Amino acid sequence: MACACWEPEYELMPREKLRELQTFRLKNTLVNVYENVPFYKKQLDDCGLNPYKFADLDDLVKIPFTTKDDLRDNFPFGLFARRMEDIVRIHSSSGTTGNPTVVSYTRNDIAMWASLIARDLYSTGVRSTDIIQNSYGYGLFTGGLGLHYGAELLGATVIPVSGGLTERQLKIMQDYGSTVLCSTPSYALFIAEAGTEKGIDFKNLPLKTGIFGAEPWTEEMRAEIEARLFIDAIDIYGLSEIIGPGVSCECTEKKGLHIAEDHFLAEIIDPVTGKKVSPGNPGEIVFTSLTKEAMPLVRYRTRDLSELNDSACRCGRTHARMKKPMGRSDDMLIIRGVNIFPSQIEEVLMKIKEIEPHYLIVVDRQNYLDTIELWVEVSEDVFAEKINDLEKFESAIESRLYDATGINIDVKLKEPKTIKRSEGKAKRVIDKRKGEVI
Amino acid sequence: MSSIAVKSDFLDPEISAASRERIASLQLENLRETLKHCYKNNIFYKKRIDDSGLDPDRIKDLSEIEKLPFTSKEDLRRNYPFGLFCTPLSEVVRVHSSSGTTGNPTVVGYTGQDLDMWAHVLGRIMYDVGVRRDDIVQVSHGFGMFTGGFGFQFAAEKLGALVVPISGGNTERQLKIMSDFKSTVLCCTPSYTLHMAEVGEKLGIDFAKLHLRFGFLGAEPWTEPMRREIERRMHMIALNSYGLSEVIGPGVSCECLARSGLHINDDHFLTEIIDPETGKTLPAGTKGELVFTSLTKKAFPVLRYRTKDISYIYEDDCACGKTFIKMARPLGRSDDMLIIRGVNVFPSQIEEVLMKVEDLEPHYLIVLTKENYMDKIEVWVEVSEGVFHEKLMDLEAFEKSIESKLYSAIGIHIKVSLKEPRTIARSEGKAQRVLDKRQERN
Repeated sequence: MACACWEPEYELMPREKLRELQTFRLKNTLVNVYENVPFYKKQLDDCGLNPYKFADLDDLVKIPFTTKDDLRDNFPFGLFARRMEDIVRIHSSSGTTGNPTVVSYTRNDIAMWASLIARDLYSTGVRSTDIIQNSYGYGLFTGGLGLHYGAELLGATVIPVSGGLTERQLKIMQDYGSTVLCSTPSYALFIAEAGTEKGIDFKNLPLKTGIFGAEPWTEEMRAEIEARLFIDAIDIYGLSEIIGPGVSCECTEKKGLHIAEDHFLAEIIDPVTGKKVSPGNPGEIVFTSLTKEAMPLVRYRTRDLSELNDSACRCGRTHARMKKPMGRSDDMLIIRGVNIFPSQIEEVLMKIKEIEPHYLIVVDRQNYLDTIELWVEVSEDVFAEKINDLEKFESAIESRLYDATGINIDVKLKEPKTIKRSEGKAKRVIDKRKGEVI
Repeated sequence: MSSIAVKSDFLDPEISAASRERIASLQLENLRETLKHCYKNNIFYKKRIDDSGLDPDRIKDLSEIEKLPFTSKEDLRRNYPFGLFCTPLSEVVRVHSSSGTTGNPTVVGYTGQDLDMWAHVLGRIMYDVGVRRDDIVQVSHGFGMFTGGFGFQFAAEKLGALVVPISGGNTERQLKIMSDFKSTVLCCTPSYTLHMAEVGEKLGIDFAKLHLRFGFLGAEPWTEPMRREIERRMHMIALNSYGLSEVIGPGVSCECLARSGLHINDDHFLTEIIDPETGKTLPAGTKGELVFTSLTKKAFPVLRYRTKDISYIYEDDCACGKTFIKMARPLGRSDDMLIIRGVNVFPSQIEEVLMKVEDLEPHYLIVLTKENYMDKIEVWVEVSEGVFHEKLMDLEAFEKSIESKLYSAIGIHIKVSLKEPRTIARSEGKAQRVLDKRQERN
């Protein structure tokens, strides 16, 4: 397949040359943090690594990880490597408990970030003639502004509608003739549902591409979104600590997300031992930024689970691909000693046609035993016609879930549109053991 | 706050302190270009210019613009969504829009060059009062289709200041960030600023010990007593900022440190004052409706756009040294538009939603009040005969469902109170649909 690249020099760079570039840029980053961030100076001194003599990428493993706790301990500006007058932007996590994590950008960082998004959009076929409906939330969250600057750099027309107000989203989509939708995948499904209810025929809208991220989603969910909205659904990945959306993104092959390896170095580790795992094996993804000025992070533990693949992609890009994130190491539920990820449950559900893509996992503890319930909506006609068979249907789903996960999950079928929808990131798990309430 | 140096160090010294003659000749030159651009690229404006008999190449005096008819919000609506754009969509990189889904919202577009100009004119306002690269700018205006957040975001970023794009709402977080990040500049509505002051005082925050220097406050009308209140409680200089998306967004005009009148960015916007009834141009110093013509915009230029905002314009020898003309703080509206916490709402939008709900009568009253300095909007509406008795239990759920319809159509929370049939006062002439009990309004 012919390749269209925004920055071909970097996106098509041979891997040996890419490694050289990474080594050179990593050295600069280590020098930058050594000279400007006391936290990193201590880390490098302690592990005995001389940043001025850094020459081999394999030496990176000598440096300890940076964690979210390190960010919190250095709240608000302790990990900044530039003076405030050189910093032009701050983003921050929502921080419901304790201190939020704060990240910063210089003018060059903002420009680099925009170029990543422009690359991602361009590789999926977006051009200056496109009309991009950006339904990610704006504000301290990186989703909205991240996509926005990249789309504007590309020269497309950006509609900064932000999240929520679904009726308005639908009106704009039809009236302005939006060709690209950027949002969380769960909100895209909600938009599809609300639109179908209003009698909107998505097949005849100009919408052709969806750029979806900010939460893990499955192949099955992709199929559902593509069928309902008549679009290509592309997965984009990122986290504010590294830069925001644009750390990696799928090309039109949709077989893994190309990591912008000229700006970020990726490793996969065993989340328990911290040891690097060999390519092709799953584990937690760890990133080191190579070009960021304001707030470079070295070996940042993302808690996201994925695996790396550096084989050639049909699109021609040489950058390694990460597998669609399977979940977060902290999303992992331990039910009576068995590890299970919400994504495993979603995968099973999405294969059952009578079921709507809306579900909630409710975890509790009764008589010292963990319980897990799955609430899931059935489609309109099933509920009306098959009311007697519902119990049988529940058992059938339970047994498929058991086959896939090895634990007994109590399935409760719910009427259509009774499970709460989200306009941003979907809340899929209620863990009553942690005091969460529905 | 009493002794501050008012004299400015200008970002654009050549323009900002230019003679009135120099500015007028620049305006004339740019007006010609804008008219030619509109004529060449937009059929609506071409017809208007042809009909007026104006020859863009031969304009000799700014006053000739009076031959052109006004552009109104109705014109924008009739050309929804992109009919008044003067560049192809491939050159448009941004779209903003008025709130709401009822009627057709007004849609405005920007090229990359327009965005640069916008960031420049608003950034210049900020620079000229003393905002610099080491300032920390907390942008608490909403982002999204509304121009407030984006305007200040890009302007402050262009200056090289640090921007915290926090957007509106979540007051405790606003205050935590204000103190943890040591924000020096706040961009916000004046009513939300006062709300922050109040919540902050309750939390025991001593604003005198925070780092706020300036507030650029706008998107709704406010008064001198409100300024004094904000400055006293927040320990910062509160400046009135004015703009509207049709013209560009925030950055059309703003006060300087003299805090007497808002300097209009004269080199980019041509201002007239008209009698809202007759449409006649009024002399400087006379109260009337503000009308703007953009002089440098490409994607969405406006010719003689009627703002419906009441004010007056005047030249003075400003202590800051800027020669741009001034407008008085907006004194009211010449239409029925309501401004609720910075969001523009027309009673007709509310009516349109109500009329689609079964079991409601076409009798309603919009009641505006202030609670802790924040605008509150409530709508009283009569239910049909019988509903009250049969469905008493469900009334609350019914109210909630109407509230959510209003929210999804208009984008603000409006409290709904259902009333028994024939309890809302009828009018014999023009119906009184709005009861404005906010004392702060002019």
